[in-house]
Amino acid sequence: MTEVLPAEEAKQDRIITILSGFQINWMNLRDADTGKILWQHNEDMSNPDIEHEARVPKRILKCRVVSREMNFSSVESMERFRLEQKVLFKGRCLEEWFFEFGYVIPNSTNTWQSIIESAPESQMMPANVLNGNVVIETKFFDGDLLITTSRVRLFYV
Amino acid sequence: MGLLSILKKLRSNTERELRLLLLGLDNAGKTTLLKQLASEDVSQVTPTAGFNIKSVLSNGFKLNVWDIGGQRKIRPYWRNYFENTDVLIYVVDCSDHQRLQETSFELAELLQDEKLRGVPLLVYANKQDLSTALPSSEVAQHMGLHLIRDRTWQIQACVATDGTGVKEGMEWVCKNIPVKK
Repeated sequence: MTEVLPAEEAKQDRIITILSGFQINWMNLRDADTGKILWQHNEDMSNPDIEHEARVPKRILKCRVVSREMNFSSVESMERFRLEQKVLFKGRCLEEWFFEFGYVIPNSTNTWQSIIESAPESQMMPANVLNGNVVIETKFFDGDLLITTSRVRLFYV
Repeated sequence: MGLLSILKKLRSNTERELRLLLLGLDNAGKTTLLKQLASEDVSQVTPTAGFNIKSVLSNGFKLNVWDIGGQRKIRPYWRNYFENTDVLIYVVDCSDHQRLQETSFELAELLQDEKLRGVPLLVYANKQDLSTALPSSEVAQHMGLHLIRDRTWQIQACVATDGTGVKEGMEWVCKNIPVKK
């Protein structure tokens, strides 16, 4: 016999409500020195059941500063919205960002862009090593509730 | 002057994470200004129905710039984003004579808020390229900026679409970040 605790049930309901009105509208990668977009994807990448693929030009590895940007919408308001973004190489974490947004306005569309300096070229792994082995994993939370996980695998072309 | 170079100038500050808050009426040019700071294309800017955040990381120091939509229906939510603000940047469309009073009122409300008490204020007098734009001195007068006594402030004429004056404003910001313990 399985009995679901009411609190647990309320949590699940809340996740389902938030998720049904939550969408990642687009993601892009830029050369942050020039502001030029090197890769952009305009489909919803918030579906946690699919690992998305991105074909990114190799020259991004030569950029001194790279930006990752994502645009998302939420029908529901949230009090303690935050994300954890990890860059994984063969499952090992190379880099991570924790960001706390706090309040999310109901029916809002928002963007978050992180700008980061690259490792010196001498320490950078070559494109053929990185190709297909890098995953950007973004987890979205409201407080402690995990809402969804987005995974994008990078291919350098 | 990109966001990264701003952050590098701020390294001497003891705080490791800094927060700039950009507010102003809709169509004032907040998002354009933010994109200009990041050398991005400003020809396709659309109204912000929420927030835009740019986070910059360099050697363990973080700079977060928050741009919150200025539409009337979003303004009641501004308060949710006041906490821990290091500098308030308020953007004014100087060619929008009709709404000068409205923007002055909104700023006055902000300045009265407890959470923004003592926070330095930079006003960007934007759209100076338009022939109908009021000069920054007149905007300052209309808004009663000279009556502000409880914080340091500055008004900077600018054109967010081509970057004129933007750098000067950010230099003021860098110099006026309060040193926290």
